[in-house]
Amino acid sequence: MSVYKHEYRAYSGPVTPAWTRILVVARYGFAEAWSSKITVGLFILCLIPPLIALFGIYLANNPLARALIAHAAPRTVGIDANFFLGVLQVQSWFALVLASWIAPRLVNFDLADNALPILFSHPISRVGYILGKYMVLFGMLSVVTWVPELLLFAYQSYSAAQPWANGHLQIASGLFVGTALWIALVSILGLALSSLVKWRGVATGIIFAAVFVPAGIGAIVSGVLRTKWGFLLNLPFIMSLLWQRLLGVEGAIVSQVSLPSGAIMTMLALICLLCAAILNARIRAREVVRG
Amino acid sequence: MGIIELKGLEVRLGNRIVLDGLTGELRGRSIGLLGPNGAGKSTLINTLLGFHPSSKGSAKVFGLDTYRDRAQIRGQIGYMPENDSFIGNMSGVHFVRYMAELAGLPSHRALERAHEALFCVGLGEVRYRKVNSYSLGMKQLIKLAQALAHGPKLLILDEPTNGLDPIARQRMIQLIKDIRQEGSVHLLISSHLLRDIDETCDEVLILKRGRIAELCNIEEERRSNRSFMELETVGATEKFSISVRGLGCECASFPDGRMKLVIPDHIEARDLYVVAAEQGVQIRRMNQRRDSLEDIFLRAMDMESERPPHVGV
Repeated sequence: MSVYKHEYRAYSGPVTPAWTRILVVARYGFAEAWSSKITVGLFILCLIPPLIALFGIYLANNPLARALIAHAAPRTVGIDANFFLGVLQVQSWFALVLASWIAPRLVNFDLADNALPILFSHPISRVGYILGKYMVLFGMLSVVTWVPELLLFAYQSYSAAQPWANGHLQIASGLFVGTALWIALVSILGLALSSLVKWRGVATGIIFAAVFVPAGIGAIVSGVLRTKWGFLLNLPFIMSLLWQRLLGVEGAIVSQVSLPSGAIMTMLALICLLCAAILNARIRAREVVRG
Repeated sequence: MGIIELKGLEVRLGNRIVLDGLTGELRGRSIGLLGPNGAGKSTLINTLLGFHPSSKGSAKVFGLDTYRDRAQIRGQIGYMPENDSFIGNMSGVHFVRYMAELAGLPSHRALERAHEALFCVGLGEVRYRKVNSYSLGMKQLIKLAQALAHGPKLLILDEPTNGLDPIARQRMIQLIKDIRQEGSVHLLISSHLLRDIDETCDEVLILKRGRIAELCNIEEERRSNRSFMELETVGATEKFSISVRGLGCECASFPDGRMKLVIPDHIEARDLYVVAAEQGVQIRRMNQRRDSLEDIFLRAMDMESERPPHVGV
């Protein structure tokens, strides 16, 4: 094929199916996310805690290794729901950091140079575009959250001297569901808040602020009005409650405030709806002037 | 079947009617879209791309409804927007390839076509540079390259010569002519510059306040057009104009003795001098020319009807 020919010629070759355009958006999104060294650094950082947890499981299940380091670490970690809850929490907050870095990269480059009119003049819908970007975030966060968590669960099942997995299946399902809920929420939150501004640094700040500022407001509301419902604004708190229940460790962690799971799920659904509304308003080919 | 069919198309943005009952069929190889600011040119383009639904009537491109079948239409359209619109963080070839893949080309074909399109528009040497490092002219060209890469059937160019210096403008016009010459692409070109449309289009749609003010084939209009004469006279202009009409000329009078005549084939300049001498009118300036796009445009804009009441036609 001669690329040096300077005259225009028509295209008469094959065309890909319409649904694959979402994958095109996702593929270029992945490329964009990985083009930054900071992404690589954060990704590696996110995989360090599972490695430490892996070492912990190894120690807990290997008497020889335990004996060798007995004087240095007389107490060994118990591998139970609490252990996996800790892993889940650590990975989830690392996932938030990673999402706050990647999400702005996925959206802000398109917004900064007003690329949306050109993008949507091609046969890709707004839903398809957002879905493509969402797949990137959800995929990358999966690799640092539920995938290593379930691998740790599998390793514990393999290493335990007695049959362990059958008795602790709730941990596996809790890890998967709890993490999937969290990264699904963080992904849509990241994309929606990134679409509000054109500057990536500001977008990262807004994502963190959206998680932690309402938590403070919720605490104030609860304190002033003497009600527990203010804690519904505290995303880290309600997620912790949810994770505890999903992994079956509710009784183990002392919490003065308890909120019904239904209220928590409603709150999460409301956040998702708000994010969808923001995306609907911001991801457009053209600004529509009302009036 | 026309390329674009409009049947009583009405588009509202909020409560404002932006396009009001457009009806017409555009068949030309290269169609010019003209109109003053706020006439609805960009809204019409956005409607053809399926960005806005019609509140009444319909618009069709290649026989497909612009809103219902927008995905299908967009696969056959290349769009070059008026304003900056690109992904600045990508290299030129990466950006054009991305757009070609979105249009439906397989990855390896998209890469080939991206290189070809960039060479075609003259950005071959800078195709590995990031787009946000391009000059304004280059940014215009890369928008054209991405619109061409997937081999569209209809190329929509919104102000393609915006912000270009004369040399770059000439190059863009030549590119558009070459694309038109190739024969597989229909063009819809929106521009404020009548000269651009005049050089590149064979049909023109003129919008005014959201309505069609004129839809004509420029070539046919030119062929059917008679010659014009512009006069500057001193003396009894009113009587002179009546006499000139008696010769079979169409005559429009303007302030300060200026006149515009449409001359039938059998009338020559000498006949006008004779009539002027009879009426005691001095002809200070005489300029004969054919009808231009500017005349068509001004006529469509009702310039003459907006003249002071003493001006007659």
